[in-house]
Amino acid sequence: MKLAFRNAYFSLSSRSLNPNPNLPLLPFLLRRVSDSVAPPSLRRLVMETPCSASMAVGESESHAPLSSPPLEKQFEGFCVQLDESGVLRERIRAVVMEIESTTRLMHAGLLLVHQARPSPEVLERPKAQIGVLKELYNRLAEILRECPAQYYRYHGDWRGETQTVVSLLAFMHWLETGNLLLHTEAQEKLGSLNYAVNNLDFGLDVEDYLIGICFMSSELPRFVVNQVTAGDYDCPRKVLKFMTELHAAFRMLNLRNDFLRKKFDGMKYDLRRVEEVYYDVKIRGLTANDDSTGDTTNQEQPQGLV
Amino acid sequence: MFFRGCAFQRLPSLMASKSKRIHHCFAAEVAGTVAQSTPKRATTMTTESSMADAFSKYADYLNALNEKRERIVKASRDITINSKKVIFQVHRVSKYNREEVLEKAEKDLAAVTDQYMARLVKELQGSDFWKLRRAYSPGVQEYVEAATFYRFCRTGTLLHLDEINATLLPLSDPSLAPLQINVLDYLLGLADLTGELMRLAIGRISDGEVEYAQNICKFVRDIYRELTLVVPSMDDSDDMKAKMDTMLQSVTKIENACFSVHVRGSEYMPLLGSNDPNSILLGVTDIEP
Repeated sequence: MKLAFRNAYFSLSSRSLNPNPNLPLLPFLLRRVSDSVAPPSLRRLVMETPCSASMAVGESESHAPLSSPPLEKQFEGFCVQLDESGVLRERIRAVVMEIESTTRLMHAGLLLVHQARPSPEVLERPKAQIGVLKELYNRLAEILRECPAQYYRYHGDWRGETQTVVSLLAFMHWLETGNLLLHTEAQEKLGSLNYAVNNLDFGLDVEDYLIGICFMSSELPRFVVNQVTAGDYDCPRKVLKFMTELHAAFRMLNLRNDFLRKKFDGMKYDLRRVEEVYYDVKIRGLTANDDSTGDTTNQEQPQGLV
Repeated sequence: MFFRGCAFQRLPSLMASKSKRIHHCFAAEVAGTVAQSTPKRATTMTTESSMADAFSKYADYLNALNEKRERIVKASRDITINSKKVIFQVHRVSKYNREEVLEKAEKDLAAVTDQYMARLVKELQGSDFWKLRRAYSPGVQEYVEAATFYRFCRTGTLLHLDEINATLLPLSDPSLAPLQINVLDYLLGLADLTGELMRLAIGRISDGEVEYAQNICKFVRDIYRELTLVVPSMDDSDDMKAKMDTMLQSVTKIENACFSVHVRGSEYMPLLGSNDPNSILLGVTDIEP
């Protein structure tokens, strides 16, 4: 079926360079095949010419007056098409607003960790929101499934929110486990792995993920400062280790001079801030357990390093 | 103390080897406290390698994406330059050389399609079509401009989007999804077309082909009218709105030129003896200021 369709295309297109009235056959063919499986972009072609059948009437216009119906028909078709995509965009924006309010709730809940030594209960409320987010992203995927392969056409509408979501999820993950939330894990939390089938590519965009991680890393200096104030003197060491690894991992990437690069450049200042806190705590001998062991091991280390 | 000094010296430059040294310090520290460690520490040791693994995958992904983007930008630039050549070729048309000029333009346009547009086919499969639109959009717009310009000069009609897309189908083999121009790039190219048509109209008037210029005027007016309905619904319509302003200026220029010819018809008549409707004004006294 597909092969026959292609052959039909080829025979039609051989007459394509001259304005030949035989071209009207093309939209009719598209109509018939639109129900069967066609490659995504052909589907795109079908969707983008809803009024093409009516255009066929005016196609043989080589001797028609210039302001003839064909001109209008094509633009009417465009109008319809663009209105449809406008409607889709509105729906997407509605879902994104809901995502936004959910992330606000999560963020407000997470801000509590700055106030005292974090207990597992503090993370309960934000974690509950993850379920809501998952459902919202599912809805987004549903909407996008109506226009396959156009994930990136509307991507700008949810890109910022997604980055915020990733940063919150990663921060929570770190608070719970001390590890970095990986891209695949983040994607799973948002439930969108299911939609990676059919090559629809509704997954978490890697660049969004990386920017989200950069946002998260900028939360850490503030967190570490407040933790030390609250009496947790071990925190700086853990945070510093984590951030150093993260920074080293990021350095493996070759970045262009875009937003991600800018955010990554900010990471080293976060890292320095955490180092300063760690230093403050260490020289005052406040790090309880590591104090004796740390000093003895470290006195050997620097000589090896120099 | 010594350690602290080292740490601060390393901060400003943070080169790979140095951060590894800091890292080793911490690894040593953590190792020193493993006895008192909680299970959490053990997992942080293993994630260190999985973080690096994950990031090497991200690095590969980003490298591939950026390389693809570069290839697309290069193809787009080639398309732009060569489409512009087609446009300049078509501009050379006059009453006497129409056929040869248009034939060459047709050949050149076909060459752009086969050699340069074809390069985009492989790159823009699947979601990359929309993802990397900013990389190829200028080239595609220029291509649309050239193709529609040629078509207008050949037949006086507007080349439709699906007609252009039909010409692109043979470029890909059956296993790949064909390259199809999207409606946004088409409309943006159309907006640029009106600028070229304005130049053409003025040029034709200078050559005395006044009726041709009037046809162009009517055509451009129609496009402008149709576009005003469609433009507000376009995605990111800001650049299109700017083009609409330019388009109105082009339309006005053509209209003014046609007006001048109409009113001052007697001045144009002797030049080439074309079939001006202005012949009725021959002999009428000049009412000029």
